[in-house]
Amino acid sequence: MNLQKVISGFFFILAMTLNFGFFYGDMGNPELHSTYELFAALIISLISTALKIGDKTQIGSVLLATSLVADIQLIAAVIVWTFIDHTSTMSASNMAIIVSLSGGALLANITSVILYIGETLKSKR
Amino acid sequence: MRDQALWIILQRLRTPLIVIIVTYAIAVLGMVLIPGWDGEAKEVYHLSFFDAFYFISYTASTIGFGETPFEFTYEQRMWVLVCIYLTVIGWFYAIGALVAIISDKTLKHELMKGSFRKHVQQIKRDFIIILGYNYVNSQVIKRLTNAGLDVVLIDHNADNISIFQLEEFSRGVPVMVADALLTETLEYAGIRSPYCKAVVSHFYKEDKSLRIAVLTRFLNPKIIVISKATLRDTMTSLIDTDIAKVENPFEIFAKRFDIALTAPHILILENWIYKNADLSDEASFLPQGRYIICGFGRLGRAIKEKLDKHGMDYIIIDEKLVANREMIENETFIKANADDKEVLLEAGIESASVLIAGTHNDIDNISILITARKLNPKIYIIARENTMKESVIFDSAKANWLFMIERILINKTSLQLSKPLKHAFLKRILYQDELWGTSLVNLLKSQLGSNPKLLNLTINEEKAYALYHAIKDGETIQLNVLLKSLRDWRAYHKAIPLFLKRNGDEFLLPRDEVLKMGDQILFACDEESRTEIEIIASNIYDLHYVCSGEEKPNWLLSKILKMST
Repeated sequence: MNLQKVISGFFFILAMTLNFGFFYGDMGNPELHSTYELFAALIISLISTALKIGDKTQIGSVLLATSLVADIQLIAAVIVWTFIDHTSTMSASNMAIIVSLSGGALLANITSVILYIGETLKSKR
Repeated sequence: MRDQALWIILQRLRTPLIVIIVTYAIAVLGMVLIPGWDGEAKEVYHLSFFDAFYFISYTASTIGFGETPFEFTYEQRMWVLVCIYLTVIGWFYAIGALVAIISDKTLKHELMKGSFRKHVQQIKRDFIIILGYNYVNSQVIKRLTNAGLDVVLIDHNADNISIFQLEEFSRGVPVMVADALLTETLEYAGIRSPYCKAVVSHFYKEDKSLRIAVLTRFLNPKIIVISKATLRDTMTSLIDTDIAKVENPFEIFAKRFDIALTAPHILILENWIYKNADLSDEASFLPQGRYIICGFGRLGRAIKEKLDKHGMDYIIIDEKLVANREMIENETFIKANADDKEVLLEAGIESASVLIAGTHNDIDNISILITARKLNPKIYIIARENTMKESVIFDSAKANWLFMIERILINKTSLQLSKPLKHAFLKRILYQDELWGTSLVNLLKSQLGSNPKLLNLTINEEKAYALYHAIKDGETIQLNVLLKSLRDWRAYHKAIPLFLKRNGDEFLLPRDEVLKMGDQILFACDEESRTEIEIIASNIYDLHYVCSGEEKPNWLLSKILKMST
């Protein structure tokens, strides 16, 4: 067993699950989407990006790319939320923007996890 | 990916990045969770994520704008205290790691490699790769850069590179610390580039040069490898690679020694071409009589061959060598230390005419020189100087002729690379006899003074526009057209054509050869005749005048005149 693999796998999958947790639920209903969960998803996503940095292989580059996509989407969601919070009131359509942004991040995270699993299966050790 | 530097930085930054993310996350989350007291509305409130991130951002970076949006409660302040230490430590760790990466040796090397490669790829002129930085190569680089050629330097020792970078002529020269004996390094240095013309490899260990020549042959057979070789084995192997130009300073000197015995005016010409002296020097044959050779190494052997060839009387003194039968029979060998009064007397120094202090030890050579001068003040002394480090002492010791290995290598290498035409001319004249040399020296002196200039003219569109087009149109133009005076086409100006090179053919002192495309001509000239040659070669009207004696009608003007009449 490789401790490094455990740690990186843990963060990659946690990033995906947290993202899903935030995304799940009625798009327009702010009560079904917790700020804390978005915060956690962003932090874990950032950590998993850092873990992917510096891998020179082909698959490593693609993994890093997916992670960067997820980060950007989540950061966009956070910025939109903050903006709405301090300038206007939260409506169903506003909430839908935030949730759909996180939905995009979720797709990127899923891709990343699939790639990661694929690479693990390919490995003979 | 070929650029390693970026990856090294990213890999090393991984942990510091994670540390910063985690500390920020903990701090922000704590600030959000801990309840605060809204002094205006008199109620409990929670900081939003934005407020918390804003506060932590300026606290962690030690800017400190104060407590927002309301004054903190004591619970909050306790947590802020934790945050400050946590995030500041995170930052310090990250900055420390960053500084460590920047001063990292591997990274520095990679960065150097990257910029070197980029620099080499940007060179779009002819350039030369120099391997190893030593005295000889430093002088070669100086002369090549002065001649407008680009060079690229590789040395495996970082200290040598640093020393080089302190030199004035190092500006614009890409350098790299690497092992030149590896294919990868040579490729980085641009050996496959179409602009690369030559590799200079003056290693102390000559088998390294052989290795370079072999590698180069496979990497790019179009370029030449200039290398020093003093051992016969290495020399032949190097020549067998077909692309190596071998420089053996001992053979070069022996050749000059030979010429000094038979045709000293040729040496005067050679020194003039190398710009070591002008033509006014007195040409004198080496004295006849008994020669004493001190030290029978590579130099001694080469000189002995030449003395044998001319049937001269000589005696060899060497400490280590065991005499062979021929030497014993002819009594031409003394096994002793040459730096000994008794030994020199035994060798007949008082009646000898020339002494060659040719051991491989500079101090021994100087010592022999001084002793010999005392015993026979009139003797002609040839001294060997192995390194330029002791040049001041050698100068003050006043040898009649100094054999400087490094000087020979510097002169030969830089001339060959920067002025190939002069070099080819020099190679040819070394095989001419004294009569030829005397007449040429006298001709040059009487016509152009003691220090004529050299002009190199190539017949191509850029250098000789008029000639190029005339030849292209099928006109027959002889070389002496270039020598005609622009004031009067029946007279000639002072320049003397020395050498004409055409593909494989070479002509010494050409006069009425018909010019062809791509010819390279070397002239001896003064300022005035130099300008005349250049004008005739490039201006169609002047070319027409010297060919026919008539002014070429201006096409446009004649049209206009015709129309008006």
